[in-house]
Amino acid sequence: MKTQAELKAIARFVAEYATRLMGSGVHTSRVVRNTKRLGEALGVRVIVSAFQRVVNFSVFDDESGEVYSEVVDIPPLPISFELNAELSALSWEAYDRRLSLEEIEARYREIIARPRIDPLFTLVVVGLANAAFCRLFGGDWFAMSIVFTATLLGFFLKQGMQNRGFNHYVVFIASSFVASMYASVALTFDTTSDIAIATSVLYLIPGVPLINGVIDIVEGHVLNGIARLTSALMLIVCIAIGLSATLMIVKSGLL
Amino acid sequence: MTNTVFWQTIADYNRMSWPVQVLLVLAGIVLTWRLYRRPAPGVRRVMKYYLALLNGWIAVGYYLVACDARSYNGVMALFWGVMAAVWIYDDVVGYTTFERTRRHDRFALLLCLMPFIYPLFSLLRGLHFPLMTSPVMPCSVALYTIGLLLAFSKRVNLFVILFLCHWALIGLSKVYFFGIPEDLLLAGALVPAIYLFFKEYIDLHFRSDTKPDRRVMRLLLAAMCAGLGLFFVVTIWRQAAALA
Amino acid sequence: MMWLEILSDGFFAAVAAIGFGAISDPPMRAFPSIALLAAIGHALRFVLMQWGMDIASASLCASVVIGVGSLLLGGRIRCPMTVLFIPALLPMIPGMYAYRTVFSMIMFMKTLDDPTLGAEYLQAIVRNGFITFSVIFMLAAGAAAPIFLFNKRAHSLTRDKKYLRK
Repeated sequence: MKTQAELKAIARFVAEYATRLMGSGVHTSRVVRNTKRLGEALGVRVIVSAFQRVVNFSVFDDESGEVYSEVVDIPPLPISFELNAELSALSWEAYDRRLSLEEIEARYREIIARPRIDPLFTLVVVGLANAAFCRLFGGDWFAMSIVFTATLLGFFLKQGMQNRGFNHYVVFIASSFVASMYASVALTFDTTSDIAIATSVLYLIPGVPLINGVIDIVEGHVLNGIARLTSALMLIVCIAIGLSATLMIVKSGLL
Repeated sequence: MTNTVFWQTIADYNRMSWPVQVLLVLAGIVLTWRLYRRPAPGVRRVMKYYLALLNGWIAVGYYLVACDARSYNGVMALFWGVMAAVWIYDDVVGYTTFERTRRHDRFALLLCLMPFIYPLFSLLRGLHFPLMTSPVMPCSVALYTIGLLLAFSKRVNLFVILFLCHWALIGLSKVYFFGIPEDLLLAGALVPAIYLFFKEYIDLHFRSDTKPDRRVMRLLLAAMCAGLGLFFVVTIWRQAAALA
Repeated sequence: MMWLEILSDGFFAAVAAIGFGAISDPPMRAFPSIALLAAIGHALRFVLMQWGMDIASASLCASVVIGVGSLLLGGRIRCPMTVLFIPALLPMIPGMYAYRTVFSMIMFMKTLDDPTLGAEYLQAIVRNGFITFSVIFMLAAGAAAPIFLFNKRAHSLTRDKKYLRK
């Protein structure tokens, strides 16, 4: 038997947990599964329906027949696989060890307080990754090196703009324009310049929402899947706008 | 664009603009000296505007006017124009502080002298004025900027460093495609400079409890510098093989 | 020579997977598995395409292998399958076809008054766009397939076996 106050406390935590998972880029069926498991660990039944921007859920106490429902906003968080892994593990731990709400919440606070991966590390490995990508598409060594530094410049700009809270689409257009513009110097040399320009913007491709979207569709969360794919498509259109600005400038000889 | 056009534009540039170049070099020497001896806040600001002017000159005077015969000169002018804008932006938000660290003084001094080593190198190769490299050219300006930032590396604008890194790679490609071995100096100086910049950042920002920890970052830095170094060495080797 | 090509293909795919994965902040312990899976998957696709298989089917085979691999490796480091296989799939996203789609669109708009060229670019748009879409779909669906086949195991990768309730 849960009192109304207990039920409310559980619902509050479940809401935070579910929105945190959704915001960190976890595919829908895992969010639903983890949340239900967490509820089971706390002795309640949770029914969740997650959308792109809000999570809608009810907490049932089957013994007393009490129900508590809530709708909560999903905060716009950066994608984090670490949270995905750790919070899933937390739900299993809560389930297996029958942790109390206070214990679970303390563990949860500890997990979300961990540092994110350092921006400089990301910057360097993304540069290397895009250079390797250029190689996979058949670029030669010069194209690779130019893509490496062009990506560093573009990604640095993206990080800076994201920290200053610019609009998503503006960030994507600007960084794809900058990266492809700096990569376009490859045209001055006798090298695989088309591949260099094309791959220089590929670090921006929103691969995680694309794949998550297809997984959601395949697993039956069709609406969410299409929503994810559509938002990813919007970002791809932004990349294309930035890239085509470069192509119009350099290929039609405006400059 | 061919080799001959490339060198012809350089000759035209030198013939037309040597008085401006002399003025810019003199201003650079005076400012650098003041910054080393008595770095007052005013000197720091003037230095930023001098760098903006220098980059703007490369954009307009060198690329737009003198290098009109080259293809894609507009894109290059755009790059250096952006650099000039970055320095002005830097002054407005007051990011780079130009505080001296005294940790890499000798190497930094060598880099600051590089603009004069460039023409010497040209003379040694048997070139004559005006068909030779001069102190106010993109690559020598890039080297000077790296040297200056290394000497005053307390807080540097990473965008400038990344751009210069990008430029060095372009310079290296020029060695390969247009036969200008002077630019090997830039490529050779860049790898240790990048290493020092990043090392300082890593020592400052990473501990054992950050993600990733300091050991991983050092490994990554070593791998990146080794990769760049290997790339440079292979290119130089291929260049030498082509000459022989 | 063939072996060298396969190895270098795998190596560059691993570097690409680590880098693109790092944007999404995976746990540090997951990086070796991500690199291994990406290398195996991409090299397999490379080999299959050398043998004349089309890019979509080859991607499907590679992504199924990556999916099964993430199921096997995920339990040991307690990572959900998606944490391992999404970064490993990223190097296989057909960015070059996506680029050609966009490029053809621009060129199509610029050659509106020339019907023959326009038809060529229109064909390029449909062709490249369709390849991009089908490869991405195959990648995600193939990697997610083991979730359906081994449902119970796939859903309990992050479970710590020492707390298992009897």
